Amino acid sequence: MANIVEVLSRFYNEYSINTSKRLKLIDAYLLYILLTGVVQFVYCCLVGTFPFNSFLSGFISTVASFILGVCLRLQVNPQNKSEFRELSNERAFADFIFAHIILHLVVINFIG
Amino acid sequence: MASREIWLVFLTVSLLPLVCFGFSEEQPSDRRVLALVEDVSIKETHSIFFKSLADRGFEVDFKLAEDPDLSLQKYGVYLYDALVLFAPSVEALGGGGALDVAAVLDFVDSGHDLILAAGTKTSNFVRDIATECGADFEEEADAVVIDHTQFAITPGENDHSVIAADSFVDAPTILGSEHIPAPVLFRGIAHSVNTANDLMVTVLSASPAAFSGKPNTDLTEAPTLTGTSVTLVSAIQARNNARILISGSLDLFSNKFFRLSFQLSSNGLRYAKSGNEQFAVELSKWTFHERGHLKAINLQHHKSGGSGDEPSMYRITDHLEFSLEIYEWTGREWVPYQADDVQVQFYMMSPYIRKTLSHDGNGLYYTAFQVPDVYGVFQFKVEYQRLGYTTLSLSKQIPVRPFRHNEYERFIPAAFPYYGSAFSSMLAFFVFGLVFLYHK
Repeated sequence: MANIVEVLSRFYNEYSINTSKRLKLIDAYLLYILLTGVVQFVYCCLVGTFPFNSFLSGFISTVASFILGVCLRLQVNPQNKSEFRELSNERAFADFIFAHIILHLVVINFIG
Repeated sequence: MASREIWLVFLTVSLLPLVCFGFSEEQPSDRRVLALVEDVSIKETHSIFFKSLADRGFEVDFKLAEDPDLSLQKYGVYLYDALVLFAPSVEALGGGGALDVAAVLDFVDSGHDLILAAGTKTSNFVRDIATECGADFEEEADAVVIDHTQFAITPGENDHSVIAADSFVDAPTILGSEHIPAPVLFRGIAHSVNTANDLMVTVLSASPAAFSGKPNTDLTEAPTLTGTSVTLVSAIQARNNARILISGSLDLFSNKFFRLSFQLSSNGLRYAKSGNEQFAVELSKWTFHERGHLKAINLQHHKSGGSGDEPSMYRITDHLEFSLEIYEWTGREWVPYQADDVQVQFYMMSPYIRKTLSHDGNGLYYTAFQVPDVYGVFQFKVEYQRLGYTTLSLSKQIPVRPFRHNEYERFIPAAFPYYGSAFSSMLAFFVFGLVFLYHK
C-alpha cells in the first residue's frame, strides 16, 4: 500500500515538473472527454439502448475525440521529436481541427 | 371512298361484341346450348328438362349425336357456350368421329360447361370424357346401381335398380336454397370419385346398402363399388371456372322420372312426385353459371385518413385502408355478395397480415390495417374458394419502403444525455482549440 502511494506521489511530482504546460492542457481536455464517455456508458447501461443511434453517436463522438486528442499529444510532445521530424506543431493542430470537423458532422448526422 | 369502307369495317368490328349474347365477363350465364341426343325421341322424353332451359332464356340447339355436320366451333370461335351430352351409348360423335374426346375437352378447357349423362349402356367415348374429368364409371358391362333396401315401388313394377337416393351434398349454392322434399330416382351406372381430386364434389350418393352389380344375377364375388362410395351424380368446377356435371343416369332427367309417383321401399312413404325435377333444374342452374358465379372488382387501397388516392408505394408502419367489391350473378343481374369469410392477405413470399373483410351489405368489402415493419415488394391477395362458388383470385402488387432518414423520431427525452455529450465534446474541442492556439 505504501508502495503504491509512493509510486503515485512520485509520478505526480515528475509529471508536475517534467511535463510542459501545453501537454498538461491536452491532458485536461482528454480527462474531460474520458469522463463524458464514461458517464454516457453508465447511463446507457442503466436505461437501455433504445435510441441506439443516439447512444452510438454520442459515445463514438467522445471515443473519437479522445483518440484525436491522444494523436495530437503524441505529435506535439518534444520527446517524440525524432518520430515526427517532418511534422510541425502547427500542422499537427491543423490535422486535429480538420479531423474534428469531419467527426462532428458525422455525429450530428447520425444522432437522430 | 376507301375511307368510307374502312369506317364501315371499323364500325362492324366495334359493334360485334354487342351482337354476341354468349358467355362473357359481364354476362356469365351460358346462352347457347348444344344438346346432343342419341335418339330424336329424347327431345320428347326429356322435354320438361329442356323446356326449363328454354324458359330461362337458353337457346337449345338439338342435334343428333351422329349428325355428320356436327361442329362445336367455326373459324376458331365456339358456336355454343355449353354442351348437354345426352347420348350415353354413342361411340363417336359426328358419325365418323368428327368430334372426338379431345374436342370436347378443349371445349371445356376454354371455359365452357358440360352436362354429361351416362346410362345402363355407356360407350367408351362417354367413359373417356368422364375419366378425363375425374370420374371413373363402373367398368363391368351391364352393371348398374342396385339397392335392395331403398328403391322406388311403382304400381306393377318392383325394379331394384330404380333407386331412390336422398343423400345430397350440403351446398345451397349447387342445389339451391330450397330443400328437396322427395328422393331422387336414379337408374344407371355408378362412378367413383377420386378423393384426391378437390375440384370434384359428389352431389348425390347412394344409400349405404347400394352396390354396383348385374341385375337378376347372383353375386359371385364382392362388387367393386358399394355403399356411399357409389357416386350417382357429381359436379366439377375446373380451375378455369368451367363447370361439368356428370350423372350416371340419363333417366334422371326424363319426364317419366320427373313425374313418377312412387312408394319408397324402405319406409313405405308415398311420394306424389319425385325430387328429380327440382334436383335437375337446380343443378343445371349451377352448371350454367346462373348461381355461384362471383366477380370481384374495384380493388382499392389508400392511406388511412388520406385523400383516397391510391399511392404508388407505402412506408413501413403506415396505416392503410383496403376495399373491393364482390358481386354474384343471379342469371339476370349482378347482386351484392354477402359473406363474412372473405379475407385479404398482405403477402411477400408468405402472408404477413391476413384480415377478414367486413362488408356493408351492398357488395363493398373493406378493412384497415397497419403495414408491417418490413420493407419489400408486397401484394394484396384475395384468394376465395368456397364450395359451389367460382374461385376468386386477385392480387395487386405494392412496394413498401423503409423510413427516410428524416422520418425517424427526433428529440427523444431518453437520448438527451447523448445529445448533451455530443455538444459538450464539441464545446470542449472549441474551447481547447482556442486555449491551445493562444497559449504561450
